[in-house]
Amino acid sequence: MKKPKRAKLFSLSYLFYDITKLIAALPGLLAFRPKYIYQNKAARKRIRGGAVLIGNHTGFFDPVYMQFGVWYRRHHFLCAKEFFDSKARFFFKNFMCIPIDRDNFGMDTFREITEHLKQGELVSMFPEGKIEKELNSFKSGMVLMALQSGAPIVPIYIKPRKTVWHRLVMAIGEPVDVVEICGGSRPSFSKIENVAELLHNIEVQLKEMCEKGDK
Amino acid sequence: MQLNRTEIMERLRDILLMADDRNTELIESCTEDFKLVTDLGLSSVALLYVVIAIEETFGIRFDNVGIADFETVKDVVDFIEEKL
Repeated sequence: MKKPKRAKLFSLSYLFYDITKLIAALPGLLAFRPKYIYQNKAARKRIRGGAVLIGNHTGFFDPVYMQFGVWYRRHHFLCAKEFFDSKARFFFKNFMCIPIDRDNFGMDTFREITEHLKQGELVSMFPEGKIEKELNSFKSGMVLMALQSGAPIVPIYIKPRKTVWHRLVMAIGEPVDVVEICGGSRPSFSKIENVAELLHNIEVQLKEMCEKGDK
Repeated sequence: MQLNRTEIMERLRDILLMADDRNTELIESCTEDFKLVTDLGLSSVALLYVVIAIEETFGIRFDNVGIADFETVKDVVDFIEEKL
């Protein structure tokens, strides 16, 4: 198997992200007291090189929780372009988020995402496309991104916290090699949809593991 | 690459046939007036897939355009013709 390309260790563009993460790490650890549950032995291995991280979306804090899940890497989050039009633009831009137009997705954005993945970076997203308490079906765009870049997809389930006093419980799945499952980088639509469904099923398994493991 | 509209349409049909194995008859009968979403039933992800395949087949780039900018097969053929 080809050795994954490692992301750059230092860059000026990482400065704001790294400082913010450093400042928030200790208060975050104390407040969330994260508990990790792994799907299997392979899921315990650290993620090296480019990967697409997917998770369930139940609240605005999910991107923060996801960073605690894979704390040792920098994440590029996909976020709605409306956030970039707001006053918080500075934060989103410097926190390495990638703006996406949900109504009219452009190839420029797609290229930007796959380029990050090819450079060995992490791209994190919530494939349900909206915030909801229940786990909904996944949109299959992530599969295309993984196919085009050759990066694996890592499913993560974040258990919704009932109150701020509850600890953060999350289940991390084994990286899924989409190119291998599809048997090449040009599968049919139906195969892509099947992979999205498979990832959704893994997410359901992780949810069950999370609920059992938290008792 | 110099291709006329019929050749572009032919290659586009091949791309759609390769991608969508459930609507073979519909794709074979498709004309330039067919709407991508309503007539061919392409989702936003399927459209993205088709755009990637077009870029690779024709060696062109879809810069500064979104997938929703294309409503009919004719819009896609026009775009490819302009870029070639």
